[in-house]
Amino acid sequence: MIKKILWAGIAILGAYALGGIALNRGESINSIWLVTASVCTYLIGFRFYAKFIAAKVMALNDQRATPAERLRDGHDFEPTNKWIVFGHHFAAIAGPGPLVGPTLAAQFGFLPGTIWIILGAVIGGCVQDFVILFGSMRRDGKSLGQMAREEIGKIGGFTALLTVLLIMIILLAVVALVVVNALKGSPWGTFTIAATMPIAVFMGLYLRYWRPGKVLEVSVIGFFLVMFSIVAGEWVAQSASWAPWFTLGGIALAWCVIIYGFFASALPVWLLLAPRDYLSTFVKLGVVLMLGVGILFVRPEMEMPALTRFVDGTGPIFAGKVFPFCFITIACGAISGFHSLISSGTTPKMIAKEWHAWPVGYGSMALESFVAIMAMIAACVLTPGVYFAVNSPAGIVGATPEAAVATISSWGFPVDAATMAGLAADVGEESLFYRTGGAPSLALGMAHIFAHSGGGRALLGFWYHFAIMFEALFILTIIDAGTRVGRFMLQDLLGHFHKKLGQTGWMPGVIGASAAVVLAWGYFLIQGVRDPLGGINSLWPLFGIANQLLAAIALCVATTILIKMHRARYMWITCTPLAWLVVVCFTAGWQKIFSPIPRLGFLAQADQLQAALDAGKVAASQIAATQAQIFNNRLDAAVCAIFLILVTTILIDSIRLWYRILTGAEEAKVVESPFVLSQLRPEEI
Amino acid sequence: MSTLRRIGQTIIGLLRELGDENAYRRHLQAHGRPHSPEEWRKFHEHRLARKYKNAKCC
Repeated sequence: MIKKILWAGIAILGAYALGGIALNRGESINSIWLVTASVCTYLIGFRFYAKFIAAKVMALNDQRATPAERLRDGHDFEPTNKWIVFGHHFAAIAGPGPLVGPTLAAQFGFLPGTIWIILGAVIGGCVQDFVILFGSMRRDGKSLGQMAREEIGKIGGFTALLTVLLIMIILLAVVALVVVNALKGSPWGTFTIAATMPIAVFMGLYLRYWRPGKVLEVSVIGFFLVMFSIVAGEWVAQSASWAPWFTLGGIALAWCVIIYGFFASALPVWLLLAPRDYLSTFVKLGVVLMLGVGILFVRPEMEMPALTRFVDGTGPIFAGKVFPFCFITIACGAISGFHSLISSGTTPKMIAKEWHAWPVGYGSMALESFVAIMAMIAACVLTPGVYFAVNSPAGIVGATPEAAVATISSWGFPVDAATMAGLAADVGEESLFYRTGGAPSLALGMAHIFAHSGGGRALLGFWYHFAIMFEALFILTIIDAGTRVGRFMLQDLLGHFHKKLGQTGWMPGVIGASAAVVLAWGYFLIQGVRDPLGGINSLWPLFGIANQLLAAIALCVATTILIKMHRARYMWITCTPLAWLVVVCFTAGWQKIFSPIPRLGFLAQADQLQAALDAGKVAASQIAATQAQIFNNRLDAAVCAIFLILVTTILIDSIRLWYRILTGAEEAKVVESPFVLSQLRPEEI
Repeated sequence: MSTLRRIGQTIIGLLRELGDENAYRRHLQAHGRPHSPEEWRKFHEHRLARKYKNAKCC
């Protein structure tokens, strides 16, 4: 009885908080409303919806031995404590996406993004992660691609593989752009990030030769060295002789990241990638915890209104109306296709008991969604004028600080050049204008919360650069790990044409494939840096569409699994988010390709530039750059179209199969591994 | 007190799992070998090669 009252209380509190957020207009609200609404909704979703799915739909059974028990090898397959797997899975799915996406979507106001993060996760993202984890767990830990091939067919498998390769190229370009925009003209930030490289190499050597096996020990040393590099970064920024070396423009930084990506993906993993990955994972968990505690401690007011005028599609950060663009801008945090790769990767091989998939699959995603809520809060505690001044490109607001503040103030978000200059001085930066990409404004918000938790304004600069370091640390890890994986995929493909090219130990093949992958994402990165609209306007929606389409593929696989398990009456569980994603992605994709508004539609922008070129309105010095812009817009349109075609293919293939099974034209064959009685004793986990 | 200890042990366990220290301990147990720098290097190379076959999440 007490439990029922408790759950009823949580439900009422959550509904009250959600209602308070949605109906409040005209005055600022406290961030604690968002925390209460989200936490209560996650708890209700976890306790009732996820438990219903686990018990009635999946029929989880602790008597059934999991792959971790049956195939136990002490390496990949190992029954592990459920909270350890929970943390492991959370650390694997939480990247820059849930931080950057909500920060960018805050241009619509905090309400649309917040509602989407909470409901999208509870009904979509958590369900996707949970069902795919379950499917993989019942199939000896098979990957999404393998499951797509076996459950849907060869076309499905190939489509999934191709989509993953393409999404990775766009992902690497867009996250690299976030780093480049954060470090542009910032000697403090650039020095700190550059210093993480020798620190990681030191950690790699320490771990291999001096204290083998002491990962936690070397991570603690690495953490203190990184903290010291943040302090030293300020000295570098203030030094007349050192600062110019670390003050780089966008193109120079982009080339640095490209060259770094090439070498990092070809170097031995133990030397740079692995030690930095250990460090970034520990820092990530620590910062998420710190941010949560900081928000509860400070309870900041939300300065951003619930809705801004930019819901009409005229936003300065990216073009497009709140529907569909809010829902593709926030992918990770609400629903992210990339998670299905993790849920069908290492995690299913560590689950000791089937019911552990409930907190691990559903619960970890709910926690990541909460990270997205914290990012939304961090972005919205800034005054809107400052938020737009930091995030708007010069091509929209004007090329001088005076022009920018005049434009932004005319939108009804007052800001002045003196405030921006004071803020830049507080965080040790030359300027905070035109820092598109989301990372700097997120860092400002985080610094605001951390500084109010302790240290005050004097530590604002340290916390700002700490937040930038935190974001850049795991973005660089994504870049070198992603380039490496892209290289493996390419070599695998090339191996079919020439055997030697497929050998991962053959140096010319390694160098050639690494260069090809780096140049592929590097091309989009340079395109983003040169884009007068800030790059984010074109690349982030492409990334969002690709990521959500991958989620659509995962939900097709999940629905097929449910139908084959004779659970067709529950297929609405996966079909509801699938239908939503298809509508959102196809609307966004169509608009990005065919919208007649040049800022929104790739082809319209290409046509506008072409018309200017044909009319002789482009200065001679700008002709080559304009031609490149025209080509890039057409290329982006083609990439977007390819994504839509790939997903249409797998969708048609899936619906055809569902129809045949449901009408009895084809037998529903479950390809689960056989039932084996679990012998695992509680003390073993 | 025992609850706090259990939470502490779980956190340390999580950090050791994330840092591959648990996997190394299991590897030594499974093969009945003592720790040595050479053993760690072999284990670590093998583990990392598999770990970084997958992309990091966004």
